This record gives sequence, C-alpha cells and structure tokens, in this order.
Amino acid sequence: MNSKSNPLSLDELSQLSQPRDTNPLTFKKWFTNIWETFRSVTTGLGITMKYVTSVKPVTIEYPEVREVLPDTSRSRLFNDVDNCISCFQCANVCPVDCIYIAAVRRDKEAPKLKTDGGNPIKLDLIQYTIDTALCCYCGLCTTVCPTGCITHTTDYEYSQYTVDQMKYDYLDEEVRAWKSRLIK
Amino acid sequence: MEENNNHSNIETETEEKLKTDLLTLNMGPQHPATHGVLRVEIKTDSEIVAEATPHLGYLHRCMEKHCENLEYRQVIPFCDRMDYLAAMNMEWGYVLAIEKMLGTEITPRAQYVRTMVAELQRIASHLMFFGTYAIDLGAFSPFLYAFQDREFILRIFEELSGVRLLYNYIWVGGVWRDINDDQLKRISTFLETLEENLKKYHSLVGENKIFIERTANVAKITPELAYEYGATGPVLRGAGVKWDLRKDRPYGIYDKFDFDVITGKGEKGTVGDCWDRYQVRILEMFESIKIIKQCLDGIEEGPVMAKVPKIIKVPEGEIFVRTECPRGELGYHLISDGGKTPYRLKVKSSCFTHTSMLGDLAPGMLIADLVATIGSIDIVLGEVDR
Repeated sequence: MNSKSNPLSLDELSQLSQPRDTNPLTFKKWFTNIWETFRSVTTGLGITMKYVTSVKPVTIEYPEVREVLPDTSRSRLFNDVDNCISCFQCANVCPVDCIYIAAVRRDKEAPKLKTDGGNPIKLDLIQYTIDTALCCYCGLCTTVCPTGCITHTTDYEYSQYTVDQMKYDYLDEEVRAWKSRLIK
Repeated sequence: MEENNNHSNIETETEEKLKTDLLTLNMGPQHPATHGVLRVEIKTDSEIVAEATPHLGYLHRCMEKHCENLEYRQVIPFCDRMDYLAAMNMEWGYVLAIEKMLGTEITPRAQYVRTMVAELQRIASHLMFFGTYAIDLGAFSPFLYAFQDREFILRIFEELSGVRLLYNYIWVGGVWRDINDDQLKRISTFLETLEENLKKYHSLVGENKIFIERTANVAKITPELAYEYGATGPVLRGAGVKWDLRKDRPYGIYDKFDFDVITGKGEKGTVGDCWDRYQVRILEMFESIKIIKQCLDGIEEGPVMAKVPKIIKVPEGEIFVRTECPRGELGYHLISDGGKTPYRLKVKSSCFTHTSMLGDLAPGMLIADLVATIGSIDIVLGEVDR
C-alpha cells in the first residue's frame, strides 16, 4: 500500500514519523503513566522474587550431572554386525544415504551362521559404515530392520576433531566392543 | 523531530554544498532479532526507517527438489526441518495430503494422539514466541520461564518419538509409537500448572507498561493489508479477522472439539498492532489447553497405525491440503504420477507471506520498532526458504 519504488525523501519521512499517541499529554495522563509503570514493574519484580525464594533450580549442570534420556531416545546408531543379514534395507530407506554396506555371498562350505532370531546369514558383510556426521537421526533405518540389529542408543557424547572421524566402521573390533556398553 | 529541524537549518546555510542522503543499513543475516538468517536492507535517516527490503534465501536447502527423489515416507524428516519449532504440524499437513490421495482411514486413537501432539506443539511454539519476543524487546527472564514449560512438552515428545525437535512421529496411516497412560496423566497435571503459569507470565510481560509502550500502536496491520498479502494465522487473527482453519475448514477431528477463535480486540492500542498479535498467541495457548483437555477425556483405546502398503504408491493426480500451524496456514501441493516418489511437492508457507509484509509495514517506523515488528509476526526462516 505504502510501497514505492523510490525510498521516501527526508521531508516525507519527517511527516511519516508521527508520535504514536495523537492525544496530548495531560497531567492526569502523565501521573497515570508513572503509576502504571510502577505498578507493573513491581508485579514483575514480585514474580521474580517468588522464583528467587520458592522455586527449586531446574538447570541440569551438565558435565557433573547428566540427564537420563528415555529409552526411546534416538541418539548414536549402533549396528550389531553379528546379527546383520546384509539385507540393505536400512541403506535403501535412509533419506540422506549415510549407510555404506558391502557384502559378498558366503562360501557354501563355510560353517553356517544364524542370527539370534534364527535367520540364516547368507551374505558376508565386508563393510558396514555409518557417516554419523551425515545422519539425520530420523530413525527410519531402525524401523525397517528385519532382525532388529540396527538400533538407536542413548549415547550422545561423541564429538570429534574432523568430519572423517565421524565415520564409524561397525566391523572394527573397537567399535564392536561398544555393544556391552550401549545395548541394554 | 528536533534533529530534522537541525538538518534543514544546515541545508539553508550551505545550500548547494551539503546534501543529506539516506543511509543504507543491513540488519542481518546474523542478527539476534531476525530469528535466523534474514537480511533486511533498511534505508534510514538516523532512526527512522524509510524503506525496508527483506532479502531471503540464506537458509534455502532445496527441500522441494530433494523430495522429488525421495520415497513418500522419507520426505517426512525433510518436512520436520522446515519449521523446526513446530515440526509436528509440518508433518501432519504432508501426511494428510498423502492419506487423502490414498483414501486411508485413520484409527480414532491415532486421530486423538495427533491432535494432542499438534496442540502441545502449538503451545511449545507460542511459548518460544513469548520468550524470544520478550528478548527482542529487552527482557531476558521471561525467555527462561517459557523454556521451563516448553521443556516438559519436549520431554514428552522425546519419550514418544525419540528426539526433541525433528520428530518423524506422525506417519502415513497413524503415528509411530503409542502414548501410554502415565504420559497422559502427566500431560493433564502439566496443563493445570501451565494455565497458572501462563497467567503469571502474561501479567509479567503483557501487562507491563514498558512492553505496552513498545508494542501498542506499532505496525498496525489492517484486514485489507492482511487480505492483500494473504496473511494467515495469528497475524490475520490479530488484525481482527475471525478465520481459523480448525474451525472453518476442519481437518482431522477438530470438528469434535469446542474452542473459540481468538481475534485481536485492540485492547491497548488499535486493532492489528503488535500487542494484539502477542495477545492472540497467548490466548490461543489457553484454547489449545482446552482442546487437549477434551482429547484427554475422549481418547479411545485401539491401534495407532492403520494398514498402509509397505511401499506407498500414491495414485496419479494432485491435491492441495492446508492445515493451521502455529505461524499460519501451511499448504502442501502434491502432484503424483503414480510412482514411488512425489512428482512435485510445493509448499505454501505462511512465514514467507508474513516476511514480505515488512516492506509495507516498515516505512516511517523507528528501527527499534522494526525489531518489535519482526518479532511479532514470528517467522521461522527455515519455513520461509525451505
């Protein structure tokens, strides 16, 4: 409505910047303003004083005190590779493609393996890497997994110095050892 | 005013040598009052704004184009990331569009849970507005009070879905996890304390004389201007127009509930000023509490997921679905060619419309009032740029 292609000139500006309240300031109004300011500020200070005296602190002082996350919490992904049947469903459903899987057909003469649920493992995993820097923690991969081997754990402290270090190879011995710590 | 007179005095003395010009000032992209990465280019004469041009695109993430390469289920996490303060409402609109195309019947319990989380999200979002608006105007402690209550809602959502902001909770056909009795009980006790707290917060901020002076009669949006731009949500209702999709075009099970549509009355100034928009949001929280209470009374036992094919293939055609989100109406225009992925997903965002109003509202205003205006239209830049 007011928009013009050219900015307003200084004269137009000084006309525009009218005082908000067009009514003249009377003595009565002046005193009411002071009284209302005083009253509302004291009300606010009263609420503040209530918080000072009677409300318990709610801040969790992080490194010393740690909040217990609910079991459903979606934090670091963990894949239990012993139970994985390399079905690629998690990689397919991932909206940001952060799961890298490679698998080969298992040798027929090799001893037969089964998951905890009794599914035969027909493929040998040779790579299972998740780029946690890319992961959007949507939880879709955990819902499609037929054996339930990929899960979100409640572990949330894993900052690193470089982006490359955020890639975790779940076949690595060190990463496998997380199982006892992360899976309850 | 005095300063302007001085200007003209100087001009008359050295008439042709000196010229006064408007100063161009960039507010943002990194500015605490722009709520994200909005840049407002302001032409100003010391304190008075002559022209303000919002520049967008700093948070553009190609969401619409990405969705064309994703299956229907995979789009939901992307919808979350538009308005990250009201992710539940973002998901619901998208899911509604697909369900209408598929013709899926939603179970009653899922409907109740959806309504409940959407209204809780609305409260959380408005609390966020309340806190940040107070910060914009120079009061810090209300922000912390608001976060204390918001924390409870986020905790409930964390238990339900697993995360605190980007939920991926409302799925095609229902919701991810069921809500349990303990959580319902905690919500009902929380609502009691929230009602008391909100009254306290309103007397702390809304009734404060300094706050009223900063917001009343500032950035008046007339119904005509709101219609012209297509403003929706609290901005439109703040202008005194009674329009709420939940009441006028009910989706989900909103037709079952009894609640009022809040409009701006111009109690402290004129209708459609910043204070009215603030008040509309505060009172809307009470209406949301009303709706959640009715949900808690009426919730039925049963499954929360309807039967949906494993790979969703939406029949060929197109649909436009809009829902009432905390910041206004959100529209999804979905075109399907019968494949696994959307052919086109266009999002109509209310924040975008509201941001474009700045150019009309700003001229003649003080820079400090511009901050109050941007705060009062409550934009989230993730939704503006997508």
